[in-house]
Amino acid sequence: MLKIEGLSKSFDGFMAVSNVSLDVKKGEIVAVIGPNGAGKSTLFNLISGVLKPDSGRIIFKGENIAGLPSHAICKKGLSRSFQIVNVFERMTVFENVQISIMAREKMNWNFFTPSSRVLIEETMQILASVGLTEKKDSVCGLLSHGDRKVLEIAVALGGNPEFLILDEPTAGMAPEETGRCIDLIKGLCDRFGLTILFCEHDMELVFAIASRIMVMTRGATLIQGSCDEVRGNQAVQDVYLGGSEVC
Amino acid sequence: MLFLQKVLSQVLVGLSRTTILFIVSSGMSLILGVLRIPNVAHGSLYMIGAFMAFSVSHFFGGGSQGFWMALLLAPVGVAILSLVAERALFQHLYKREHLMLLLLTFALSLIFGDLTKLVWGGEYKSVPVPQVFHGFVNVIGGFPIPLYNLFLLAVGPVVAVLLWLFVNKTKMGKIARAAAVDREMVSAVGINVSVVFAAVFVIGCLLAGLGGVLVAPTVSVTLGMDHTLIMETFLIVIMGGLGNIWGALIGALIFGLSQSLGIMIWPQFGIIFPYLAVVIVLMIKPTGLLKSTW
Amino acid sequence: MMHRGLSKRNWGIAAAVLAFLLLLPLFLPRFYVYQISLILVYGLLATSLNIVLGYGGVFQFHHCVFYGMGGYATALFLTKTGLPFVVSFAAGGVFAAILSFLMGLITIRLSKLYFGMLQISLGSLVWAIIYRWYSFTGGDDGIHGIELPDLVSSPRGSYYFTLAVTLLCLFVIYKILKSPFGSVLQGIRDNPVRSGMVGINVKRHILAALIIAGFFGGVAGSLFVVVDRTVFPDMLFWTLSLEVLVMCLIGGWFKFFGPMLGAAIVIALRTFVSGFTVYWALVYGIVMIFVIFFLPDGVLGFFEEKIKPAKGRAIADKG
Repeated sequence: MLKIEGLSKSFDGFMAVSNVSLDVKKGEIVAVIGPNGAGKSTLFNLISGVLKPDSGRIIFKGENIAGLPSHAICKKGLSRSFQIVNVFERMTVFENVQISIMAREKMNWNFFTPSSRVLIEETMQILASVGLTEKKDSVCGLLSHGDRKVLEIAVALGGNPEFLILDEPTAGMAPEETGRCIDLIKGLCDRFGLTILFCEHDMELVFAIASRIMVMTRGATLIQGSCDEVRGNQAVQDVYLGGSEVC
Repeated sequence: MLFLQKVLSQVLVGLSRTTILFIVSSGMSLILGVLRIPNVAHGSLYMIGAFMAFSVSHFFGGGSQGFWMALLLAPVGVAILSLVAERALFQHLYKREHLMLLLLTFALSLIFGDLTKLVWGGEYKSVPVPQVFHGFVNVIGGFPIPLYNLFLLAVGPVVAVLLWLFVNKTKMGKIARAAAVDREMVSAVGINVSVVFAAVFVIGCLLAGLGGVLVAPTVSVTLGMDHTLIMETFLIVIMGGLGNIWGALIGALIFGLSQSLGIMIWPQFGIIFPYLAVVIVLMIKPTGLLKSTW
Repeated sequence: MMHRGLSKRNWGIAAAVLAFLLLLPLFLPRFYVYQISLILVYGLLATSLNIVLGYGGVFQFHHCVFYGMGGYATALFLTKTGLPFVVSFAAGGVFAAILSFLMGLITIRLSKLYFGMLQISLGSLVWAIIYRWYSFTGGDDGIHGIELPDLVSSPRGSYYFTLAVTLLCLFVIYKILKSPFGSVLQGIRDNPVRSGMVGINVKRHILAALIIAGFFGGVAGSLFVVVDRTVFPDMLFWTLSLEVLVMCLIGGWFKFFGPMLGAAIVIALRTFVSGFTVYWALVYGIVMIFVIFFLPDGVLGFFEEKIKPAKGRAIADKG
C-alpha cells in the first residue's frame, strides 16, 4: 500500500534521512524503531508532507505523493498523529474531532449552518471508539497527558484514513494508559481494517502489536523484517537493543 | 552633468538619513532579534533622546560644548529610562504572547509621548550644529555638502563596528545570541538570562537615544517625530533580517536611498518607493536579506 | 455542546443593551449620540479585525487599510458619481474586499510577524498613494462635507442607520464564526500544521477569512462617512491600525464581543478623560498596562472567568 524508495532529506548538510526504503502492505502494522535522532520523525514528516524530500519516491496506492502539500496527502487517505501532542488547544475534545471530519467532508466552505448542528453523530462515534465520550466538552488544553495522546489519534481518525501514521503514540504515558493504547491500536487495525505505521521507544509495545519492524539508525535503514528476525539480528542488538538502552 | 550632480547630492542626503535610520534600527533589531519584543516605544525613546539633547545642549550654553555633552549624556538618560521600564514592566512579560508585549510597548509609547509633552511642551525645539561642523565641503562635481552630514556618515560605521564587536566578541553578546535561539537552554546551563536581557534591552534603547541626539541638529525637534520613524525602523529590521546588524545596515541603505532618489525622480509619489522596496525584498526573501536569529 | 445558544441571562443583557441603544437619541445630547455612533463604527472595525486576529491567529497589523479603502470608496462614489446611495455605500465593502484579496495573495505566503510587516508595507503604499493623489482623493486634506441623502443626513437618521448596519454585520459575522468555516478557522489559529494534516488548505482558508475581514472593515469605513461626512488619509495610517488592535486586546480577543467592548472602553475613556486633561494618552497608557498585567484575557475574558466558577458549581450540584 505504501512503498518508499530511496528517500533522502538533509538539513544544512546533515543527512537526517538517507536513502530509506520501506514497504507496507494493506492491513499490516509496521513499526519503525531506532535510537533518538535516527530520523524517524523526519521520515514521518516526509511521508505526511510536512517536509519536502530532497530525493526519492513515496508511492501511496500506486501514486507518487512525494512533495505534495500535507492537505493533499490527507485527502488521499493518509492521516497521522504526532509525538508531541499537536491538537487544537483552545477548543473542546468534541470540536477537535469535528474539525477533522469537517475537513474531510469539505465542509469548511459552509458559512451559515451552525457548527453545533453538524456531524454530531460521526464525531460521537469516533469519540466512543477511542473512549473519550465523557470528556467531549473539556477544553483539550486541560486534559491529562494520556487523554491528549488518545485525542491525537482521534483527530487523525476524523479524516477516515485507510493508512494511519502514529509517531510515538504512548510517549510519556503511565503504564496503565499504555495498555489502553495498545488495545486501541490493535482494535483500529482489526475492526476498521486500518494499515498502521508507527514508531515507538517502548519495545514491549512494539513486539506486542507490530507485524513487521524496520530499524533505522543515523538516517538509514538497518534492517526490515519480522519481529523475530529483528530480535535475532546482531547489528540491531549492537546499535540498539544491547548497547545503549533508550527508554 | 547637472543631472549627475543632482543624483549625487540626493545620494549623500539619503546616506546621512540612512545613518540615523541605521543607528535606530540596529537597536530595534537587537531587541527584536534577542528579546522578541516588537518595541513600538523605540521611536518614543528616539524622540526623548532628541529632546534631552536640546535640554543638555541648552544647559551647557548651546554651543559646541553643549552638543558634545548632549551626545554623551542624552543616550545615557534614555538608557536609564529604558532600564527602569525593563525592570519594572517588561521582565515580567517575556513568557507572554508577542501581541501582549506589543500592547505594552504601545502603552509605553503613549505614556512617553505625553511625558515628553509634559516636560518639554508642544513647541518646536532646535539644537544648534556645533561650531566645528559649520560650513560645507565641496565634493566630486563641486557640490557642497554640509560638514555635519559628513560627520554623520562617519558615525554610522563606527556604531556598526562597535555593535558587531559587542555581539560577536563579548561574552554577553554570545550569550545573547544563544538566548535568541533557545532561551531555556541558556538558563538551563546556569546563566542569568534576565540580566543579559536587561542589558540587551538597554543597549538597544541607548541606540535609539543616540539616533535622536544625532538627528536633533538637522531637524526641528518636535512631538510626533517618532511616528513615521518607528514604522520605517520596523520595516528596515524585517527587511534586513531580525537581529542581524549588517542586515539593519543594508535595510537602512535600501530604505534611505530609495526614499531620497524616489523623491527626486517622482516628487509627488516619491514616498511610495521605500515601501515598494520592502514589498519587493520580502516577496523575494520572506525572512529578510541576511540570516535572522529566529 | 448542544446548548451553545445564548443563556437566559445573556438574552437579558442583549435585550437591555438593544433597548438602550434604540432609545438613546431620544434623551441624550447630540454630542453623545455622535460618540456612540463612533463606538459602533470602531466596534465593527475591531470585530472585523478579530475575525482574523482572535479567531484566525493572523497578525493583521494594518487592518485600517480596508477601513480607509471602504470610506474612500463610498466617499468618492458619493461625490464623483450620481449613483444611488445604496450603491455607493455597498461599494465600500466590495472595494475593501477586493483590496484585501489582492493584498492577501501577496502576504499569505508569510506568517506571524513577517505577515504583519509585509502587510504594513503594502498598506503604507496604499496610504501614500491616497495621501499624495491630490487630484483624485484630495491628498492630505481628504474629502469633507460629503452630501448624504435625507434619510441618513440628520443626526438621528445617521445614528439609526449606523446601528442597523452594525447589528446586521455583527449578526452575520457571528453566524460565520459559529459555522464550520469558523470552526476550521479557529482550528488553524490553534494549530496550522495540524489543520493541514487533517486535510485543510490552510492558505486558501486564511485568504477567505482575510477577504471577509476586509469586507466588514470596509463597511465600517463606509459607516464612518455616514457618521462624520468626511474621509482623510489618517483613516489608513498605521497608528489607527495599532489602536484597533489594542481595542481587540483590551476587550478580549478570544471573545466575540470583546473587540466591541474594547472599542467602547477606549472611546469612552478618550471622551471623558480628554474632558479634563490634555494628557489623556497618559491615562490611556496606564489603563492599558493595568489590563496587560491584571486582565490577560481582556476585560470581557476577565468577567466571564469570574462568572464561570458559579456555573461549574451549579453543574457539580446537579451531578
